[in-house]
Amino acid sequence: MAGKPVRAVNAIDQTRRMLSLVTYLRERPGARVEDVARAFGITEDELVSDLDVLPMCGTSFRGGDLLDIDTDGERIWWHNPAALGADAAEPLRLAADEATALLVAARAVATLPGLRESDRQALLRATAKVETAAGEAAGASSRLSVTFESEGGVFADVDRAISERRRLWIRYYSPARDELTEREIDPIRLVSVGHTYVEAWCRRSEARRTFRLDRVAEIRILDEPSAPPEVELRDLSEGLVQPAAEDPEVVVEVGPGGRWVAEYYPHDSADELPDGGLRITLRTPDPASLRRLALRLGRDGRIVSPPALADSARRAAREALSAYDGVDAAGAHGPAGTDPGRHDRQERTR
Amino acid sequence: MAIAKAERLMNLALCLLGTRRPLSKRELRESVEAYLEAGSDDAFNRMFERDKDDLRELGLVIETVESLDGEIGYLARRDSNRLPPITLDAEEAAALGLAAKVWQQARLAGAASGALQKLRAAGLPEDVDPYEPHSALEPRIPVHEAAFEPLMLACRDRRPVVFDYRKANAAQPGPRNVEPWALECWRGHWYLAGFDRDRGAERVFRLSRITGKVRSRGARFTAPVPDVVTVRETVASWAGETADRSALIRLRSGAGYPLRAKATGVRELGDGWDELEIPYGHGLDAWLVEFGPDVVVLEPAELRADVVDRLRAVAKG
Repeated sequence: MAGKPVRAVNAIDQTRRMLSLVTYLRERPGARVEDVARAFGITEDELVSDLDVLPMCGTSFRGGDLLDIDTDGERIWWHNPAALGADAAEPLRLAADEATALLVAARAVATLPGLRESDRQALLRATAKVETAAGEAAGASSRLSVTFESEGGVFADVDRAISERRRLWIRYYSPARDELTEREIDPIRLVSVGHTYVEAWCRRSEARRTFRLDRVAEIRILDEPSAPPEVELRDLSEGLVQPAAEDPEVVVEVGPGGRWVAEYYPHDSADELPDGGLRITLRTPDPASLRRLALRLGRDGRIVSPPALADSARRAAREALSAYDGVDAAGAHGPAGTDPGRHDRQERTR
Repeated sequence: MAIAKAERLMNLALCLLGTRRPLSKRELRESVEAYLEAGSDDAFNRMFERDKDDLRELGLVIETVESLDGEIGYLARRDSNRLPPITLDAEEAAALGLAAKVWQQARLAGAASGALQKLRAAGLPEDVDPYEPHSALEPRIPVHEAAFEPLMLACRDRRPVVFDYRKANAAQPGPRNVEPWALECWRGHWYLAGFDRDRGAERVFRLSRITGKVRSRGARFTAPVPDVVTVRETVASWAGETADRSALIRLRSGAGYPLRAKATGVRELGDGWDELEIPYGHGLDAWLVEFGPDVVVLEPAELRADVVDRLRAVAKG
């Protein structure tokens, strides 16, 4: 089952699961291990470890009250269902955290602009029913909310191309080069982690690439079938940007006003500097793409290495300034830098 | 070998659910094997209190009843613990299945699976395998911030907290006393909205800027909690998305697609440059500088000066 998060053995989660299992198994004598594991979203090993614990449980460990549950690895048998009174085996109400986790996630998914309408309707119906069933426990769920960002039209086309297994043509914006490129891609899956991305086989670079939907300037579904090579799906929980060890290193020194760089760029290290700034070491396959960062930082930071990157930022700034000297000899606003208070802005939204 | 905690919790839960009359601590101790092995009374008492708290986290409503002779008894009544009837069709079940796996935070991922398992025990249809994507979509809610879990619990229980917070442009963090209202995830980052006691006003905090531990304060909230908390609007204004004016720039042909996408007017100048009218909000200067020599600001003069100032700082490098 690809993509399922690995869960550590946790006594609380396991107890919660076993309480539901007892209710579930009571209704289904001879249930198949495989089916039960799937219904509970756990591995067969996890289920078997629960089945090892259950025979030690009951309303008392004396006098034959323990649950006589066993399995031959294929099917599960419960020989004394009467050990648990009928009403002691009823499904349990949802806890506040359970209601919150399910409802917040459901509301977030329902806001995805590209979600199929039938799925959205089903989700909204289910959400309303769960809210009702959870009762008071649903109250705390209003204290958490999540908004996914995605471009509705682009999303719908990618989603359709994936389900119909068709190739896509896109015009895609690369901020690193400030250019639009045309590519044909074979989409593999859509991923929402803050922004929404499509993971695809890019036929232009002959490699797997991730494209952010809000950077897709134009999209068309082609008639050709999509034929991505078999690739192993990466676990994206550690972030979409995963620099490789062989990528060149870039060192940036920022003042207090440039500390946001450490929040937005995955980095190897960020060491405190005496002036309240940071010395940040990061890796990127394409250091030239960081010229934008150097320009943006202005007085709040500088590229220490590679020197070629620092030079190119300086050259770009000088070239840009020459345009101003040319068009604005009068100097309408007095000498630059007279109002440092204007430079308090450090936010950056990518 | 010590008896596993899950086994102990399960036995306590079954005892409390199975009884029709309150059971005293002594009776419970005699019914649960792990408690007999606990050794001293102190060890047992500590274990028992912790276990009750854990079961309550799972949603079990455990009542405490004092008998006529003053002895305390415990029970989990069926009517307060039963899930009300709920019937979901296969599409609804599949949709919840997708939602249940979006959390990347252990506690909430566990809670969402637990919710689905309870619904499964209550007859949630299984025709569609919820753990296989029914759409190509794989939404994930990222949670990387250590402050998330304590703040989530504090918001839930309405408990004031104290934490060290480093403002965006500050080198040193400073302590904040906050009554936490709500957490919101926007563009992959988590924010907390709450009442800042020292400043006597509502504030929004970015979780990644909280340093060190989030500590709970015993006291209660002192300020009223608003019905609607607007985290996103506050963050959007930080991010310069609330433009109230417009600016005029020259942009090299073919360059700056995102600027073109935001432009309210474009005029081709015919000399390899275009003239664009774009919304002018907080932070536009820093963004325009990123385009280097491909952008020249024409108006307003204030924006022009800011951009020139930034460029000079880089040119001096």
